[in-house]
Amino acid sequence: MRDVVIIGAGPAGLSAAIACREWDLSVLIIDEFPKPGGRLLGQLHQEPDGEWWNGIKEAGKLLNHATELGADIRCGVSAHHIEKADNGFKVHTDAGVFDAEQLLIATGAAESAAPIPGWTLPGVMSIGAAQVMTNVHRVRVGERGIVVGVNVLSAAIARELDLAGTELHSMVLPAKNPVTKHYGDPGEVMDGLARIAHMAPSRILRFGSILARAGWVRRLAVRLYPKRGVKVWGIPVHIRKAALKINGRDRVESVTVCNIDPAGKPIEGSERTIPVDFVCIAGGLYPLAELAAVAGCPFRYIEELGGHVPVHNERMETPIDGLYVAGNITGIESAKVAAAQGRLAGLSIVRHRAKDKAGLGQRIDEAMRHVTAIREQATIQFHPEVDKGRSKMENIFKEYRKAT
Amino acid sequence: MIICRCEEVTLEDIRDTFHTYKCSAREVKLRTRAGMGYCGGRTCRPAVDAVLEEVTGEKPGDDLPLKVQPPVRPVSLSVLGGDGDHA
Amino acid sequence: MRNRRIEEHPVLGSLRNRKAVSFTFDGKTCEGREGDTIASALLAHGIRQLRVHEESGRPRGIYCNIGHCFECRVTVDGKAGVRACMTEIREGMAVESGKVLPSPLNSSVFEADEMPRTYAEFAGKQKGDNKKEAPDA
Repeated sequence: MRDVVIIGAGPAGLSAAIACREWDLSVLIIDEFPKPGGRLLGQLHQEPDGEWWNGIKEAGKLLNHATELGADIRCGVSAHHIEKADNGFKVHTDAGVFDAEQLLIATGAAESAAPIPGWTLPGVMSIGAAQVMTNVHRVRVGERGIVVGVNVLSAAIARELDLAGTELHSMVLPAKNPVTKHYGDPGEVMDGLARIAHMAPSRILRFGSILARAGWVRRLAVRLYPKRGVKVWGIPVHIRKAALKINGRDRVESVTVCNIDPAGKPIEGSERTIPVDFVCIAGGLYPLAELAAVAGCPFRYIEELGGHVPVHNERMETPIDGLYVAGNITGIESAKVAAAQGRLAGLSIVRHRAKDKAGLGQRIDEAMRHVTAIREQATIQFHPEVDKGRSKMENIFKEYRKAT
Repeated sequence: MIICRCEEVTLEDIRDTFHTYKCSAREVKLRTRAGMGYCGGRTCRPAVDAVLEEVTGEKPGDDLPLKVQPPVRPVSLSVLGGDGDHA
Repeated sequence: MRNRRIEEHPVLGSLRNRKAVSFTFDGKTCEGREGDTIASALLAHGIRQLRVHEESGRPRGIYCNIGHCFECRVTVDGKAGVRACMTEIREGMAVESGKVLPSPLNSSVFEADEMPRTYAEFAGKQKGDNKKEAPDA
């Protein structure tokens, strides 16, 4: 029996492990990816001061710290079930069953699909797949590609592909269908673009971002959007063009793209076939929470947090005694927020074990304030109203506690 | 257009099933197997939910819409049988 | 074909001579680098198709590349259902692509309505139609 098992060796899991080891709890971290670091691996962006923030390096720092403190980290281990036992949890994995007094689930996020016809062909991949292939495995995903789906994440990764010398023809929206009704809507996408405008200076985007709160301005920006697209980091970004289908026999050969009206409706006769050998689909992220579900944790649907989220409080505790969550499983935010949440979860775990050891309460308060501060400093938000989502969850937790 | 990649369930399959059987979102999933393939619905769950919301009018509930059942990863019977050591 | 390896990267730096590892894919010898997954080593050779859909035979390759979608499952040293994107290559590893499997329950072969829906129905059919004892459970 270990004091703590942590599922997920990303920024949240590793930071939690460090906090637990500082207080001498025995810690096992498992992760199904062959390398530790989670989705920190592959992230690469320029900070406002111009410095590059390299996720591989950040993961290395956390890993070294956790290893020095004696955390047991096992990669390539896949958990498929969690059982609540009398004095803790049984974590069922393909490498055996691990017993834990307390359990932290830090499994991050998964990508939502934006299906368009032909998306099962080899050469079509999620945008995150391209990021990992490029920055972690250092293999080019193709000669020339197109990104379907324009959002904060896909714009950042498109820049990374460009940086690695992979040619992108353009970024376009997915054709509207019941699944893509939001990602395929030029107005909604313009809102999202406006939020990264400060990072990718462009007149029309700034125009959109400063005044986008007024609906008419946004509509105007969508109507006036240049036919040739707006270059963001050198890549033409189109919100008035959509990918109708991906063509090819055994692999991607081309994409059929058309012009769309401001409501996202295809304009007949404007179809064009663009030869490419890869396509990246970007449908956004949602919290990957299936293990919390099988562990019996209650859920709520909170759009601002990215979907169904396990009920938890601001100390990362769930209503199940001894079960904690941290990182993107609690809502889609940056890796820095995930790391801050991980440290907080670790301290909460320590307090559960050590009861009222001197100073712990104060440290938890500090860690909570740190999470908020990091969130406020974030240069981009996956959802503009993440704060609202967080306070909704806080109230839900309180109500849930009252009701049970 | 395929929605569920594992079971190759198309948007048309989901619509046709709903119109033929006039059934709930859950029953559409059971009949078509959308979201019930090898990956356990991780790839298409939000997509299947979005289609079902439009087709059946059912909003996503507070519970996970597709009830998650263990194992959440495919495992061999030897692993389930406890062949693995108690680590 | 152009080398797909990103040997030099303006921020991530140079790929220092990572050790070569050889393995086979459907019997053909491929060379990857230490730390490659099966999926990345194959893509470096321009190989995208890792399996076909077990029923329709349509080609599939990686989709999520982080173990969620299972689209890249292959057979490794006889073990089926292994994710190419999550498995690092080892010297001498034998990787086989996924093939079409028989689909005996496909409704184009059997009328779905005539299939037994419960074990009792199945056992009854066995007794009645074939005059055979239902196997002891």
